[in-house]
Amino acid sequence: MWKRLLLIRGAELLMFAVLAAIPVAVQNPYALGLLTLLAIYGILLIGLDVTVGYLGQVNLGQAAFLGLGAYTAALCVTKLGSLMLVATLAAIAVCTILGALLALPALRLEGPQFALATLSFTALTVIVLNELEWLTSGAQGLSLTRPPILGHALTAREFYWLCVALFALVWVAMRNLLASQWGRAFEALRDSPIATDAMGVGTYRHKVAAFALGSALGGLAGALYAFNFQYLQPQSFTYELTVILLLGVVLGGRKSLWGAFVGASLVALLPNLLSNRFLFEVISAVGFALALFAGIRGLLRRTLGPFQAIAPIVATGILVVGGLLVTNTEDWRKAIFSLMLFSVVVGLPEGLMGFASKFLSKLFRIPEAPRPAPSPLDRALPARSVGTGGPLLELRDLKRYFGGVKAVDGVTTTVRAGEIHGLIGPNGSGKSTLVNVVSGLYTPTAGEMLLRGHPLPRGSLYKTAQDGVARTFQNLQLFTGMTAIENVMVALNGIYRRSRSLPLVLLGLGRGEEKRAEADALALLEFVGLGDQARTPAKDLTYGAQRFLEIARAIARKPEVLILDEPAAGLSHPDMLRQMEIIERVHQRGVTILIIEHHMDVISELCDTVTVLDGGKPIAEGPPDEVKRHPKVVEAYLGEVEVGSASAAPAAS
Amino acid sequence: MTVSIVAQLVVSGALIGLVYALIAYGFQLTFATSKSINFGQGELVMVSAFFSLTLITLGLPYWLVVPCGLLFGAGLGLFVERAAVRLALQQKSEGWILLTIILGLFFFSVAENVWGRDDRPFPTPISQTAIQILGVDVTPVELSVAVGVFAIMGLIEVFKRQTLLGKAFEAVSADPDAGELMGISATNTVMLSYALSGIVAAVAGILVSPITTVGPTMASALILKAFSVAVVAGLESGFGVVIVGIFLGALESVASFTLGSGWREVPGLLLLILALAVRPTGIFGKAIIRKV
Repeated sequence: MWKRLLLIRGAELLMFAVLAAIPVAVQNPYALGLLTLLAIYGILLIGLDVTVGYLGQVNLGQAAFLGLGAYTAALCVTKLGSLMLVATLAAIAVCTILGALLALPALRLEGPQFALATLSFTALTVIVLNELEWLTSGAQGLSLTRPPILGHALTAREFYWLCVALFALVWVAMRNLLASQWGRAFEALRDSPIATDAMGVGTYRHKVAAFALGSALGGLAGALYAFNFQYLQPQSFTYELTVILLLGVVLGGRKSLWGAFVGASLVALLPNLLSNRFLFEVISAVGFALALFAGIRGLLRRTLGPFQAIAPIVATGILVVGGLLVTNTEDWRKAIFSLMLFSVVVGLPEGLMGFASKFLSKLFRIPEAPRPAPSPLDRALPARSVGTGGPLLELRDLKRYFGGVKAVDGVTTTVRAGEIHGLIGPNGSGKSTLVNVVSGLYTPTAGEMLLRGHPLPRGSLYKTAQDGVARTFQNLQLFTGMTAIENVMVALNGIYRRSRSLPLVLLGLGRGEEKRAEADALALLEFVGLGDQARTPAKDLTYGAQRFLEIARAIARKPEVLILDEPAAGLSHPDMLRQMEIIERVHQRGVTILIIEHHMDVISELCDTVTVLDGGKPIAEGPPDEVKRHPKVVEAYLGEVEVGSASAAPAAS
Repeated sequence: MTVSIVAQLVVSGALIGLVYALIAYGFQLTFATSKSINFGQGELVMVSAFFSLTLITLGLPYWLVVPCGLLFGAGLGLFVERAAVRLALQQKSEGWILLTIILGLFFFSVAENVWGRDDRPFPTPISQTAIQILGVDVTPVELSVAVGVFAIMGLIEVFKRQTLLGKAFEAVSADPDAGELMGISATNTVMLSYALSGIVAAVAGILVSPITTVGPTMASALILKAFSVAVVAGLESGFGVVIVGIFLGALESVASFTLGSGWREVPGLLLLILALAVRPTGIFGKAIIRKV
């Protein structure tokens, strides 16, 4: 425990101490300029990492926010004569607002579309900065003088210390944030937006918040950039810079503050590395040797595909040979950068720090963070009293059409409190569509849905989840990049109070809740028998364990109604028995369950009532044994049956 | 501003707009088979144009340069697929966005150093003297853009509909897994789509260069507009790009005349952001139903 804290925190402290101490030893103004730039880019890249690393989106807009922040601060100083603090705050505010505004349309976008939206924002920003000559002096550039603080004009060295102090502050605040429910929500969004909504976390506010936060840091970095150079040109903030920043994050390592630092160092120092021929040749030779070693080892051990092994060798090989042939390496800056990046993206997808952190934690034997004792089950999943078993969930004439297809066509049924209600029917009978309507994924075309006599929200997974309905998914929707315990912690209901407020989290005041959340999540994992796999990434769990984890995550909502969409699909027989036993125990805690299932034995064993759908309409309802013998049900499953042989049919099902 | 000036602006803008449409069509080709696009497509256009220019300065006749340029484009397309796209598709990740950007940066740098940073004229045997059609001045070179764009798009569409290979292309676009089960290699089809997309980029470069000149910066100027066209029309919409391309080209030329040339790109960019916000699948695209 202490060793872990000491090593990780110690390394951070050491880094900042060294950064702060360098100018005392080195008086070279040029080196000081580079270090200042490093601190500024550090802030900028931490901001970019929120969208690129945590949201997993390719964000090509960060250069624009740097520019907008820089121009806002510069204009505040030159036109309004603001103080440095005011100008900086204004830059942050402008970028936060613009970031949130851009996030609103970008919210619905994924992958390439998100990249395109941010790319066009960058292009637009440069055009506007260029063309609004009366305000920004356009391509001529804008000069400003760094305003004094409390009447004291900062020297270059003092300004550098200010930048390092802000970098450290941002570092600590982001560490607090990313280790909190917010950080988990960002990652959950990346892996499955649908499940994020269904777990009551809300994709909307988190996506906007993540983007606005990243942009705000862009604004802060921009203000510092303006005060540092004291001269701005729109051409500094174009597509090229945005690509280099993005690549800095990827090269350094996504989802890592250290990665942002390494990336910032590379971006800031790169021009100098290239102008020194000898240094460049050493670096490219080392890169080539590493690629060769890693490639051959990967090929021999079969951990790497041929392309992943050979492509970095070729790319670094071109670097070495090119370095000998080319007269002026600086002219080839972009090609060199792209070759380096290509090797890293292909050969080290987790970036330099992702690779180094694995290596270092092995080297120093850094132990895993200790696990708290699990909470008592009564706290993680309080037993509910189901009362007299009156109607809990009522559906009245519920319909959902897709164009001309009547997937659900008038379903009326009642789920009673405390029962396990089965939903069966042939393929295409509308079962999945029905639960998708009830859980809020689809808006009903017509009809009513009541929970405890009150209407359920229509067409909102998030609001339905808030109302006490939780669900699992037929095609697993786990947050695959997160560990089992994090999957459950994201969904925990009724724990996070302070953690909901962004400022409190940034100040690190949500840690008590984190401990409790961890304990509760562990209790739920033990409930489904995954206690010892708490730290395993969800994607590495066995298929059966992933199904159990879906249930653990859903009951973390402390739901009144739990919808299970084919929970036994594809399970081996022993896993299926275990799954049935888990469902039974969840039921005993007083959770009302609506279950879709194809295995008749699961339905017969578990359910109190079964509704049979065919062609979007209910054709029978009642206790499982009765329903099985219902002639319409037999017909739906087996086709037309001659009178007299009906009694033989159920055995075949 | 008289009617004839507007007509002139609209016509010459629309003809350039066809080039944007053609590049956007290249995005559609690869998006259909692999749900990926080459973010460095502008660099492909630029490098192919430079390559063709070099052949012309070496003394090759124009009509021989064109097929060579197209072959070169196809080769570049295949290279992009191999180096930047295939691995990401195998891993089912969006790594291709980054990798195609990186390759684009590489091509840009190579072009800058091999051919220089200045814009260069692109000679063409087609006449540059304007002729009047219905009171609007049009040069045969501008008309050749329209002819070239429709010819290459038409050829590719005929290829997709009439040949066995083309039908395989359509099958993989519709459902790669089902295609594989029917014995069609999805990888080969994705390669084919990138080769076609490279050819389309080369055609665009050869057509537009006599009008705009060739230079490294043409890459980013063209690609932003092509992105706008592709997104506004929808990445799956076939000929919708032509309509949007013509509209955007005309709009841009009018905006550049009335607001000043610096604002030329603004309508396209605003349209792109708006289209993404209001209808991410494009005007001509189909709405997607979320499935779980």
